[in-house]
Amino acid sequence: MATKAYDKSFREEVYQNVDSGEDVKLCMQCGVCGITCPLRGEMTHGPRQLWSLIRAGKRDEVMNSPDIMLCTSCYSCKVRCPRGVKVIDVMHGLAHYALEQGIVPRKETSKFGKAFWDSIYKTGRVDETEVPMRYTLMAGPIHGIFNMLEMMDIGRALLAHKRMKFKIGPGLPPSKKIKGMKGLKKMLDKAKAMSPGKEG
Amino acid sequence: MTYFLYPGCSLEAGGSHYLVSVEAVAHALGLTLKEIDDWNCCGASIHYVGGTELQTKTLNARNLALAQKQGGYDIIAPCSSCYIQMIKTAHEFEEEPKLAEELNQILAEGGLNYTGGVKVRHILDVLYHDLGVERLAAAVKKPLTGLKVASYYGCQTTRPYGEYDSVENPHTMDEILEALGAEVVPFEHKAKCCGSGIFFTEMETCAPLAGGILGEAEEKGADMIVTACPMCQMNLEIYQPRLNKILGTEYDMPVVFVTQLMALAFGGDFKKDAALDRNIVSAAEVLKNAAA
Repeated sequence: MATKAYDKSFREEVYQNVDSGEDVKLCMQCGVCGITCPLRGEMTHGPRQLWSLIRAGKRDEVMNSPDIMLCTSCYSCKVRCPRGVKVIDVMHGLAHYALEQGIVPRKETSKFGKAFWDSIYKTGRVDETEVPMRYTLMAGPIHGIFNMLEMMDIGRALLAHKRMKFKIGPGLPPSKKIKGMKGLKKMLDKAKAMSPGKEG
Repeated sequence: MTYFLYPGCSLEAGGSHYLVSVEAVAHALGLTLKEIDDWNCCGASIHYVGGTELQTKTLNARNLALAQKQGGYDIIAPCSSCYIQMIKTAHEFEEEPKLAEELNQILAEGGLNYTGGVKVRHILDVLYHDLGVERLAAAVKKPLTGLKVASYYGCQTTRPYGEYDSVENPHTMDEILEALGAEVVPFEHKAKCCGSGIFFTEMETCAPLAGGILGEAEEKGADMIVTACPMCQMNLEIYQPRLNKILGTEYDMPVVFVTQLMALAFGGDFKKDAALDRNIVSAAEVLKNAAA
């Protein structure tokens, strides 16, 4: 019977282009990460199986897996992994890599995360009023308004308890920038250029 | 004793009652807190959607570099998300010379430099190890006698290095709460994840995580959940009505910061020092029976 060798190109792609991707090499497939994950019941593969699929060259299965973006960053797997794999950093790295290629593992978290990062890149900080507002409006004018109305009870409660700034719309009044924003922007651009898979 | 305070974005908004009470507690204990001038966001749990790992480390390296330039005191990061992001960068900077070199190349773009050595501390670490429970107990003017609390650390508070407490079964906050006179109920969920990292966008999926924590607290007869993480506080408190709808429950459980109880037990004002008027699920009723 003819046997087919694993396609090694995807694993090399992950080792080189995905943040902390090389850590996948350390895995000994014990499965502690998977069984430890608080959302294991919601995942199809979980980290251990994903690492195995990477080694087996299953590009489509890994890149299209919604699991890579379901990590809550609780670090339970990280502290229990006997091989010290940076499980969370690899999961985040895979999600970032998929998004860069136009694959959206989880729509809502992608939208919210984008609004979050945009705020950092523009002002240096995250405005807890503006970011959810921008995120809700990303659903389009009609849905956005409905989403916003649905969140209004929470917004009102936070405002009444001095835990939120008053805003009448995204950007009004504008969020304050940190003083060193110009320098931070330069640093972030340089860091991006130096990140794995971005060189040259 | 002088420390840097890194409030982070949360303590400026949703966790404003944490900031007020941290400052009140520091004042009562004679600690000087200096805010790192011009700090930036740590990137928190969702950074990876827009940013690369090196960009997130850059955010944290900039804060470390600023702290070094401004005096090099230990940094207190009361938010567990900020704590974990900043301590990861601080550790990896020391352990990986190549990364340290890269980060300094990046920092140079903004005229900064970092040589390492600045310590990142959680507020529980400083309270427990630098001050100690005896000193905390000695500062108590109104013991919280009769108050039953579920001591909930959350997942990131002692992780990933377990620098000051166990990553699996932490105890520092339990002892602090006991020093205030409260009764700490056994609580298996003490270091379990509440889902806050993605709760806002994956509420149905994460609801059972928060529900498990609220459920055990209720089952153990706790009057309130006490935490040291603003993400947990926000998540477990403001979404309770949503959770009740999703899970078919009727939770009405106050979720309070450990520093709010400390401020109160140290004789501080309910509003001005403990900022307990900022809790949406009010703890006034259960506290009336204790401290007052």
